[in-house]
Amino acid sequence: MGFKHLIIVFALAAAIPTGGQTKFVFSPQWMAQAQFAGYYVAKEKGFYDEEGLDVEIRHPFATQTLEDRVRSGGSQAYSMFLSEAMELVDKGVPVVNILQTSMNSSMVIVSRYGADPLGLHNAKVITWRAGFGQVPMCMASREHLDYKWITASSSLNLFVAGAVDATLATSYNEYYQLLQTGLVTPGKGIYRFSEHGYNIQEDGVYMTAAAYKKDRDSAERFVRASRRGWEWAAEHLDETLEIVMKYVKEFRIPTNRILQQLMLEEVLRLQLDPDSGEREFRLRRDMVSQASSLMLEGGILKDEVTVEKLLP
Amino acid sequence: MRKLQEIFRTSFPVRVSVWVVLTAAFIFLAAQLYVSYVSRKSVWNEAVQRATQVLENSELRLTRILDDVEQTADNVEWLVYRHLDSPDTLFEYTRNALQGNSDLIGCAIAFEPYYFENQEYFSAYSSNTDGVIETSQEGDEDYQYFYLDWYLMPKLLNQPCWTEPYCDWDYDDDYSLQTDMLISYSKPLTDANGDFIGVVSLDVSPKWLSEQLSSVKPYPHSGCVLISRGGTFLIHPDSEKLFYETIFTRNLKGDDPSLEYVGHDMQDLKEGFQEVRVNGEDTYAFYKPLKDTGWSLALICLEKDIFGAFDRLRIIASLLALLGLLLLFFSNFKVIERTMIPLKELAIEAGNIAEGDFDRPIPQTDREDEIGTLSRSFAHMQSSLVSYIDELKVTTAKKERIEGELRIAHDIQMGMVPNVFPPFPERKELDLHALMAPAREVGGDLYDYLLLGDKLFFCIGDVSGKGIPASMFMATTRSMFRVMGKQGIPPSEIARRLNDTLSENNESMMFVTSFIGVLDLVTGRLEYCNCGHNPPALMSGGSAPVFLDCVPNTPLGVLNGCEYEGQVLDDLRGCMLFLYTDGLNEAENVDHVEFGMDRISSVLSGLSTANALTVVESMQRAVASHVGKAEPSDDLTMLCLRLKAKA
Repeated sequence: MGFKHLIIVFALAAAIPTGGQTKFVFSPQWMAQAQFAGYYVAKEKGFYDEEGLDVEIRHPFATQTLEDRVRSGGSQAYSMFLSEAMELVDKGVPVVNILQTSMNSSMVIVSRYGADPLGLHNAKVITWRAGFGQVPMCMASREHLDYKWITASSSLNLFVAGAVDATLATSYNEYYQLLQTGLVTPGKGIYRFSEHGYNIQEDGVYMTAAAYKKDRDSAERFVRASRRGWEWAAEHLDETLEIVMKYVKEFRIPTNRILQQLMLEEVLRLQLDPDSGEREFRLRRDMVSQASSLMLEGGILKDEVTVEKLLP
Repeated sequence: MRKLQEIFRTSFPVRVSVWVVLTAAFIFLAAQLYVSYVSRKSVWNEAVQRATQVLENSELRLTRILDDVEQTADNVEWLVYRHLDSPDTLFEYTRNALQGNSDLIGCAIAFEPYYFENQEYFSAYSSNTDGVIETSQEGDEDYQYFYLDWYLMPKLLNQPCWTEPYCDWDYDDDYSLQTDMLISYSKPLTDANGDFIGVVSLDVSPKWLSEQLSSVKPYPHSGCVLISRGGTFLIHPDSEKLFYETIFTRNLKGDDPSLEYVGHDMQDLKEGFQEVRVNGEDTYAFYKPLKDTGWSLALICLEKDIFGAFDRLRIIASLLALLGLLLLFFSNFKVIERTMIPLKELAIEAGNIAEGDFDRPIPQTDREDEIGTLSRSFAHMQSSLVSYIDELKVTTAKKERIEGELRIAHDIQMGMVPNVFPPFPERKELDLHALMAPAREVGGDLYDYLLLGDKLFFCIGDVSGKGIPASMFMATTRSMFRVMGKQGIPPSEIARRLNDTLSENNESMMFVTSFIGVLDLVTGRLEYCNCGHNPPALMSGGSAPVFLDCVPNTPLGVLNGCEYEGQVLDDLRGCMLFLYTDGLNEAENVDHVEFGMDRISSVLSGLSTANALTVVESMQRAVASHVGKAEPSDDLTMLCLRLKAKA
């Protein structure tokens, strides 16, 4: 059975209430890992059930882009970066933010041999096939960096093999994976966007405007239960890690407990608002505005995307 | 502890045994340390040699496999270049590659998008699943191969390379992810201009690779580890760690750096070994790089495996030595204790003898050593002691009897001299007091006086020698003076007669110095005769004492027939006469300083008006003070008389 046929089957299935519960398919933007711990918790602890939702968490292919995922349908909600959502909106795929989890940028550039990433010339730098790299690429453009971007499904092995000079990394995933390859923590060799005026929110949950309009109630219930899931995760790190490892094993993800623990702690840290220090679950106007300005400058957006365009 | 110290302090066998055992233990320890050092070094050298051999063999085995894969890739590449114009044939070549090398599980010949006209995706791919080879076009929108490691790595590096292990993503029918870990050897393909056009990639299964070395176990708990450039475990005895962990994972949080240094050495493709602690156990990692793959092979051996037999032998040797030391202690203790039995018995018997039980039998022994000699000497000492005690008892009894007799003699002697004062209460003009203190029970001093009408006959004397002979001579002298005094003859005549009587049959050659005087209480006239005696002191009124000028007559009893010259003082009324024996002026203190004539004068000077009793008692106190704690060396006798001044 082909994948596209499956999508149709699931799209149909999603629309049919099962056993008094509403089917709701949620598609995270990457493979099973602690980045999505709050959703696993909400499912495992029955928060979705309590909201009357039968939530399926459906992970994507490694090489699938977000646009592929959204355009192909099959899920009610998708997690994606703010920049990705803005790009979609700009391309005429209307999506609305129903839950914003990230309040900070996790983006870093790690260079080989500890060299200053801003000092590299004509360097081969990896960005992800699955997206996420818009803001860093715009930043590079603004800083007049002549990076040669290499699109890959995974950055780690190319970096380790010496095939590239630097790589984009998230501070909760690839960064720790690089450390795990024996990379001695670089001093100047790591550039954190959040520390240089490019602190832009990332993970959020989006729905197409049409899907949201059609089933606003389910969306609101999904958001309530998901928030509960994240808050519970922040309070119960060890139990959350157990739940994450269950999903990781189920999907046979080549990772380990220590990596997932570090990821969970970092993801939870990134959810704290830089001003209030609280888990606020909201889009910040200033960050949306900065991202829009950057992406316009970088030629990724044609028109400005405002908070209003992203909110339901 | 205190009890042990007490035992150590009081038990000679324990003390000696402990020292013997400690000495033996020290010697054993030194010997064992040396042997351990040499043996351990030898075991270690053998282990290094063995590990090196195992690593070389393993490397050879892996190298052969990898060489085969690389050779197959070369063959496929050659075919690809020859048939680029007919891409459909490439599928067959991938199938042939798998058929020709059963170690391979996949073969792909993939090209850049649109390298072939109107074909975004072209990847001829064959897979070998349990011997079933399937061939397909694998690239499509769901599998965009040109973003994957096996394709990008040779493209970017522009050279053949082995990839890190990676997941080949696939979805099965129930829409759950299926992942297979792969390692690929990929070669870049280029066109005539040298531009990249695609890759030839051959897949092997890391699990299969790992199984090739799973049986390599030079020690029971040892195992081979192969890590990739990124430290990922390609081969590991624990399948849970394969591909999921790297050699650095355990130290990600900075709390377990045990393998960190080994990992960096292996990444730097160094050859050597390190001691590390893994899962709480001491472990040795021997490592060397694997060909030009960027991978490094290590042999992990537990220290207990390498040194296990040696350590067991050492523990057994130590236990045996400990047992030997204990045996040495007890045997030594028993021998000494047994040897000490006669000494203990002797000690008990000595205690009994000390408490007066002199007849206790001393244990007999026929030993010829020092303890036998001591036992016999002790028995001899006991018999000598018994006879000595017997003699002592007799002697003591005799002494007691003699002392009793001497006490009686003392009483008799003291009763022989007049000791009632004042002697003549009716004669108010006469004040007389005397004192005799023998140095022993009985002495050789004497004094006496008697009143015949108005005349007072008196004498003081000192017999040569001391003790009983002197006392008997004194008694004779005193009796004769009393007899002769009653005859009313002058002192010189008394002296002459006393001398003649005493010198007769005087075989013991004893003699007596004497001062004999006759004082007329009415006229105060004093006749006297000094027979070798100390001159008396005379005090007249408040004047200083003077010692009488005396003719040096011979002491009494020395030579028969001697004549004695008398002397006269006309009037002694108002004067005091102080007579004494040499026990006064020659009384010595502890420093052997005599009391002396000067002190006599000095004492008397302060007593010019004192009565006779006061004079005698004052002089007695003065001489006692001078003598102090020294033993009295001679009899002491004093006689003081004062005649009242004429009216």
